[in-house]
Amino acid sequence: MASPKTVPKDAQVMIQILKDMGITEYEPRVINQMLEFTYNDIRLAIQCRVDQSFTSPPPRDFLLEIARQKNMAPLPLIKPYTGPRLPPDRYCLTAPNYRLKSLQKKVTSSAGRITVPRLSVGAVSSRPSTPTLGAPSVQTVGTKVGTPVSLAGQRFTVQIPSSQAASVKSATPTTPTVQNVLINPSLIGSKNILITTNMVSQNSSSDSTSLKRKHEDEDDYDAL
Amino acid sequence: MAAVQDGPMELESEKETKPEILSDGSAKLPGSTGSGALSSSPLTAAPAGGAPKPEEQQTLIAVLQFLKRNKLTESVEILRREAGLSDDQEDSQAPDAGGGGGPGAVGKGDGNGGDANSLLSRVSIAAAAAPQTALTPMPAKSADNQPDVSVVLSAYSQQGDPSLYQVYYSGLKNFIESVLDCHRAELSQLFYPLFVHMYLELVYNNHENEAKAFFEKFSGDQECYYQDDLRVLCGLTKKEHMKGNEVLLDFRTSRFVLRISRDSYQLLKRHLQERHNNQIWNIIQEHLYIDIFDGMSRSKGQIDSMSGSLAGEAKREANKAKVFYGLLKEPEIEVPLDDEDEEAENEEGKPKKKKTKKDSMGSKSKKQDPNAPQQNRIPLPELKDSDKLDKIMYMKESTKRIRLSPDNLPSICFYTFLNAYQGLTAVDFTDDSSLLAGGFADSTVRVWSVTPKKLRKVKSAADLNLIDKESDDVLERIMDEKTASESKILYGHSGPVYGVSFSPDRNYLLSSSEDGTIRLWSLQTFTCLVGYKGHNYPVWDTQFSPFGYYFVSGGHDRVARLWATDHYQPLRIFAGHLADVTCTRFHPNSNYVATGSADRTVRLWDVLNGNCVRIFTGHKGPIHSLAFSPNGKFLASGSTDGRVLLWDIGHGLMIGELKGHTDTIYSLKFSRDGEILASGSMDNTVRLWDAMKAFDDIETDDFTAATGHIHLPDNSQELLLGTYLTKATAVTHLHFTRRNLLLAAGAYNSQ
Repeated sequence: MASPKTVPKDAQVMIQILKDMGITEYEPRVINQMLEFTYNDIRLAIQCRVDQSFTSPPPRDFLLEIARQKNMAPLPLIKPYTGPRLPPDRYCLTAPNYRLKSLQKKVTSSAGRITVPRLSVGAVSSRPSTPTLGAPSVQTVGTKVGTPVSLAGQRFTVQIPSSQAASVKSATPTTPTVQNVLINPSLIGSKNILITTNMVSQNSSSDSTSLKRKHEDEDDYDAL
Repeated sequence: MAAVQDGPMELESEKETKPEILSDGSAKLPGSTGSGALSSSPLTAAPAGGAPKPEEQQTLIAVLQFLKRNKLTESVEILRREAGLSDDQEDSQAPDAGGGGGPGAVGKGDGNGGDANSLLSRVSIAAAAAPQTALTPMPAKSADNQPDVSVVLSAYSQQGDPSLYQVYYSGLKNFIESVLDCHRAELSQLFYPLFVHMYLELVYNNHENEAKAFFEKFSGDQECYYQDDLRVLCGLTKKEHMKGNEVLLDFRTSRFVLRISRDSYQLLKRHLQERHNNQIWNIIQEHLYIDIFDGMSRSKGQIDSMSGSLAGEAKREANKAKVFYGLLKEPEIEVPLDDEDEEAENEEGKPKKKKTKKDSMGSKSKKQDPNAPQQNRIPLPELKDSDKLDKIMYMKESTKRIRLSPDNLPSICFYTFLNAYQGLTAVDFTDDSSLLAGGFADSTVRVWSVTPKKLRKVKSAADLNLIDKESDDVLERIMDEKTASESKILYGHSGPVYGVSFSPDRNYLLSSSEDGTIRLWSLQTFTCLVGYKGHNYPVWDTQFSPFGYYFVSGGHDRVARLWATDHYQPLRIFAGHLADVTCTRFHPNSNYVATGSADRTVRLWDVLNGNCVRIFTGHKGPIHSLAFSPNGKFLASGSTDGRVLLWDIGHGLMIGELKGHTDTIYSLKFSRDGEILASGSMDNTVRLWDAMKAFDDIETDDFTAATGHIHLPDNSQELLLGTYLTKATAVTHLHFTRRNLLLAAGAYNSQ
């Protein structure tokens, strides 16, 4: 893409033409529009533009033909006593537009006590609501290890080794506000970290039961 | 170049009219004075003698090739010899007017043209040249070095000399003005379609200057009600402009219908055939359909009341199909007569006695009304228990209905939408007047409760599990009290909502929008259930059938579609209008659909097979409102010209014209028993008309029924019962409650 400083030659010619014609005030996009007509076949240029932006309704003979086809079929009989008469489900808008995440409550007593990391997920668009709780506006998004959690189609799995987790854990109580947790890229394979993604929580420690309860509530609102 | 452009040689490519024109040509030979006059200009324009014009030569070569291809060697020889083509030279010889003659435009090459004509007439090939003797230079120009006959022939048919169009038109004008009064009115109908077609021909063939001159000279003569069309035409000066304009393309391909009495028609035909004005005759034959009737010529007033549509009037046979306009028999329902006034004794043995009343709405006789459709003509949904309860309520309410009459006018209750900022685009009431829906330009639909009862949503699935399903008031318990509110907003559309319609059972709401979809909303959960996609263009109106299940929609794509709620594609497509379908209404028996369109016609369609059974012309502007009378016999339509027209469906005639409004009429409603017609308009008034009287005054003698010519008495003033002004609120919707109170709705216009 051309940087703002270097304008392509054609555009420069166009600017010159506009200046010659005496036009001094115009929006920058006008140049792009004018460039459509730099070539000789104006009609073709217009036609291309018009076909992209506008369509016109179908011609009459076409309409008469499809009408004839449609009207030949007899009206379908109405099945009695079928409740609300709606088209098949795939043509309706009645499907839920969310999916409930299954809860993973693997309480193991292994050494790896990984805290549920705290992330701000305000930017996540697929969440039905920004799950925020009172003061500690932290979110937990737990997922199964290894299962890619898709947020807007992207997959982020982050694993925090216990050592790191411990430090995180100690850090978090002191910072009740939302914080973006930056994970050391070297720890993970993928570069697509950044915050707002799901952290994998393998275990929930028993001493954070109170926190856990809150997290469980939020799990219900998780969007995948 | 003008000389070349207006080249005297043009090609007649209409095969069908050729034989007739040939005969006409020979008859016209004596009329060479005309051709003499015509020939003067081209002759002066053409250079004396000399150099053959390449275009004409090309066309001659094309003719030669055609003859060769058809193995007409003798003709080929003769043509070559006379045209001197082998020597590459053409002399302007004196027209050899033997045989076919050379009427019409005469020019330098006329002799050759004449010869070609005579040759062709001798071998009677139905193609190539015609007595018009015009070979277009232009298609020949566009044909490259190899002139192909097909290219030459593909020139727009009947192309006369462009500069002579004015002459033709003026000639016709003079003739019509000189004719007897009684014929003049009828023949004046010719002006408008001829003018438009000639103008469009000029534009199509790229004669821009001539087109403009032609337009300027004659557009002022046209009737005032065609002014809008003329304005559109004025801006259309190039062929490219025509390409995207579907309405004009339809106009050109469909035939403008004129109804002329036999006497007037004979006059016209005689005149056109004795002159050489074949151009006009050609246009008439190709683009106009003259429906001849035997009888007296019509007066100007009669013609004016029926004309105005984009396609002329309706042919007689278009309105001859039988229409079952009667109402369906109401189902027999036992009505327990226990009002609030009387104590109900719900003992057994009582039901059949005087405590109950049979359905009095149904016809007393067992016989089928001959004008009513069969019960099973179209499949209709069965009555559910809730429907039966509704019907009982309906009948109870109708006993309390006020009888309206010119002495007993209804009260009007107006619902004004404040702060809508001209965004209110559609309104509907439920039949029992308990709910009101508004469609807005910001793509929302809002539902209000008109009664003190609030709107509630159904509880969520989890909560529904907890309620006692056996209790009597289960229908109340399923409603979530927490969601009670006066109004609900429905989001979903992505464009202004132009039509809303409640289902008769108050469970669903339909909305149609500029985004091309129609949405079905549930009024129990206040969520959107289905989006029906079919029109890809704005959908201007939609309506549920009076029995539910079916609904109709009409939009910018010039068709109306019939849908059923459980099919994602339409069941019927009603195609035929020349312009947008702006208004769609069901007949009370649900077997017919009326559509009003921007082409100024109202059409009635049969749901069973999709046929158009009635075409009503007469409006001078797009139609925005339709209303069926409760007995199903009559239809009222209102348009931007401020007139309400009344139509008899059975006979297919116009039976009334109500003048009074000064602006577009957006709403029409008949009272519950059909005695009063209420109309609401953009001029901020609601007017009440005496429908009883209007329908009583019909004279239906045989002549009227046969020809459809009715002389409408100008009795609008007598029929007008009252005019009610609002301060600054256009009336968008009207609704008679079951007790005949008139409700009206509109948005306050603060400017």
